[in-house]
Amino acid sequence: MILQSHDLVKSFGGVTAINHLSLEVEKGTVFGIIGPNGSGKTTFFNLVTGMYPVTSGKVTFNDRNITGLRPHQIAQLGIGRTFQIPAPFTKMTVLENVMVSTFIRTSSLRESRKMAWEILERVRLDEKGNTLVANVTLEDRKRLELARSLGTCPTLLLLDEVMAGLTPSEVKGAIELIRSLRTGELTIIVVEHIMDVILSLCDRILVLDYGEKITEDVPDKVVNNPDVIKAYLGERYSARH
Amino acid sequence: MELFFQTIIDGLLIGGLIIIVGIGFSLCFGVMHIVDFAVGEWVMLGAYAGYLMVRYFGHDPMIYLPVIFLIFFVLGWLVYPLIFRAVSGKGHNPVIMGLVFTFGLSIIAKGGALSVWGYHIQSITTWLSGKSLSIGLVTVPALRFSGFLFGLLVTLLFMAFLYKTKFGIIIRATAQDRDTANLLGADVRKVGAFVYSLYAGVTGMSGVLIGALFSIHAAMGAKYATLAFFVVVLAGMGYVPGVLVAALVLGLLQSFVTVYIGGRYTLAALFLVMYGVLLITPKGILKRGI
Amino acid sequence: MEVQAGNIEAPSLSLARRFVPLGLLLLIALIYPWLAVPLWIRFATEILMWAGLAQSWNIIGGYTGYLDFGHGAFFGVGAYITGIVMLQIGWPFWIGLLFSGVLASLLAMMIGYPTLRLRGAYFAIATWAFGEMVRQIATILNVTGGADGMQLPSLLNDLFFYYIMLLVTALTYLTTYLLLDRARFGYKVLAIREHEEAAEMVGVNTVWIKIQAFGLSAFFPGIFGGIFAYWITYIHPDSVLGAQLTDFMVVMAFLGGIGSLWGPFLGAIVVQLVQRILWLVWGEGTFYLVIIGVAICAVVLFIPNGLIGLLEGTGLFSPRESVNQLKKKIKW
Repeated sequence: MILQSHDLVKSFGGVTAINHLSLEVEKGTVFGIIGPNGSGKTTFFNLVTGMYPVTSGKVTFNDRNITGLRPHQIAQLGIGRTFQIPAPFTKMTVLENVMVSTFIRTSSLRESRKMAWEILERVRLDEKGNTLVANVTLEDRKRLELARSLGTCPTLLLLDEVMAGLTPSEVKGAIELIRSLRTGELTIIVVEHIMDVILSLCDRILVLDYGEKITEDVPDKVVNNPDVIKAYLGERYSARH
Repeated sequence: MELFFQTIIDGLLIGGLIIIVGIGFSLCFGVMHIVDFAVGEWVMLGAYAGYLMVRYFGHDPMIYLPVIFLIFFVLGWLVYPLIFRAVSGKGHNPVIMGLVFTFGLSIIAKGGALSVWGYHIQSITTWLSGKSLSIGLVTVPALRFSGFLFGLLVTLLFMAFLYKTKFGIIIRATAQDRDTANLLGADVRKVGAFVYSLYAGVTGMSGVLIGALFSIHAAMGAKYATLAFFVVVLAGMGYVPGVLVAALVLGLLQSFVTVYIGGRYTLAALFLVMYGVLLITPKGILKRGI
Repeated sequence: MEVQAGNIEAPSLSLARRFVPLGLLLLIALIYPWLAVPLWIRFATEILMWAGLAQSWNIIGGYTGYLDFGHGAFFGVGAYITGIVMLQIGWPFWIGLLFSGVLASLLAMMIGYPTLRLRGAYFAIATWAFGEMVRQIATILNVTGGADGMQLPSLLNDLFFYYIMLLVTALTYLTTYLLLDRARFGYKVLAIREHEEAAEMVGVNTVWIKIQAFGLSAFFPGIFGGIFAYWITYIHPDSVLGAQLTDFMVVMAFLGGIGSLWGPFLGAIVVQLVQRILWLVWGEGTFYLVIIGVAICAVVLFIPNGLIGLLEGTGLFSPRESVNQLKKKIKW
């Protein structure tokens, strides 16, 4: 188990965003988290990556307790993450954005540059390498989010709604890209809204609602789970399938 | 022993005044995410406005309070669009721009006051000045007591306004989620202008009281800005109820330091407290800051 | 198959374009005092000092994006430390300068530790309060001479002070260039300014970097303060710790262009010239403060990128961009 959350709770004042959530993610798999807006998906990522302090419970990474660590320490340990709304360093070029994330893996600028180019090639952004981020499209920014998160050479990658705002053809390209990342070395947790994406990519899916686990299972079982269908997928989807 | 209680009373009374400055400032940040570096200058200008009213029209400065409120409300209404524009520039960090802009405003106000009145110290007196009540062991100066009551009144009015009126709800909604509030029909800019003007009016008004209590001079803004800042650091920015507690705590602190150590050390003491607080609890003592 | 542009070092063309005018400027600066009258030498010395001070503010305010509204305190601290070292301990000027720079730096890092963990607004407030507090403390301590100030041993040598200001200013700019425009440290700082959370998420230890940047930004004012003290000979809380010092640094950096290497220099020249003109026209007084305030507001509203921003089109002023534009042209 590469990642585990143990009875995780997060409250903001009176609101409980994550309510006693326990889950396990197996190494080398693609794990999906779905749920309606406000169900706590991004909050969960923020807790794992140390951006929010945990109210109670703990998170372990490779059996090591990472609760309470600062985000940069967690990045050092090998967890990478993309932001739902791309957060690039606008006054730098695409290449430099990725370079910054390689700094924890090498102390040579030359090496950083080399690693960054390789990553850009992998995500097919190398054409735009020397372009300032300010001049780059949304789809490219999303690729850049991914590229930058890969710069830290993570063993666990958290993708937060990478597909949001993409056209159907762009989504296809993104799915292929994510599939290409699966090398057995990398574990991926995907948060998504689009059912097709989740179903085609993930080995296991967890359904979240009001910060609680509704169910966690293989895609086929999740889709046919009556509670899930009723609460989230809607009658029309289940009728189609 | 008497001194001890007296010090407490003095501290609480001062705290009452600090509340006004602190609440407006905190609200400004909470609703519009603007740290108004000119907060001290609003106080200073209010004090001078009171002074001018008395000089040219006579009578007690207290009767001009409503007028002063209106004048500063209008001033705030005029200034806000500029602040809004500074904060909304594309591609720039709005927090930085807002901070620097209000910093610039404070320099204009202070420089202007210095140019007009120089370094002279003025003062104004009211019928309450010098009067006091005796309650048991302690004497309560009438003017300070009024200031304290005024502070409480303003706080209560603010809270009632924010939590009980329709417009107050709109303000709080805007503070929490600008975009949604926008979609629901709230004119975010007008809300911001209103809040800022309210804040300017109240802070200007408090300047008259402060001017009557202490001295008036062009550089006095720094002292009150410091107090406003410390209040929100202790209370957490944007958390209004915390301002009450923090203001009273600071008032007490200031009072005790002045009496038992010496007036010149108050700023250093306040700073050390703030420093300590930040070391231990980054979000303010009540952990409710943003 | 693809040319690894990363292996191409900055083409010599753009380097020559940047360093030749710089070299000329330095040459002029070096021979200037032999051609000018004492009054103008002193004026130039002052401009150099402000150029350096504005740049030091730029390090934390412009490059890192954390506004320090009490930066003048480090200048004053440096002034007093050199004074104390020379008067009370009796050590030479250079030792005083060393202490000034190092202690100002350490002080900044101490203040930075709790305040840089928070958002920029808190930092602005805390540094502002810090500046006020230091001034008050200087007024009450005995070792600083209290409100009466301090009189240092006097050295009347315009040339000496001109060259030493030139040296320290050049050092300030060189250090900024090396650390912030060219090194990993600069990338990290810029990442923090652009998006602090994302920077943290890719492994940048944001708090530590910020503390270092702050410490660096305080080092130079400390030294400038020490030089100033020896130069002017008499210092007191209002002259070396007054709020107007920070006001000037802020307006110079902003007017010139925050976050750019040469912005503060340009800003310093413009502001100093305008101030002298105002003094000639209106007499010395406090009105210049109003002008400074208006200038700050105007810059924020109309030219947030400063004068350098207006000149950006020529590509002369942003090393990163000029190198990249060149790479594009070479069509790697």
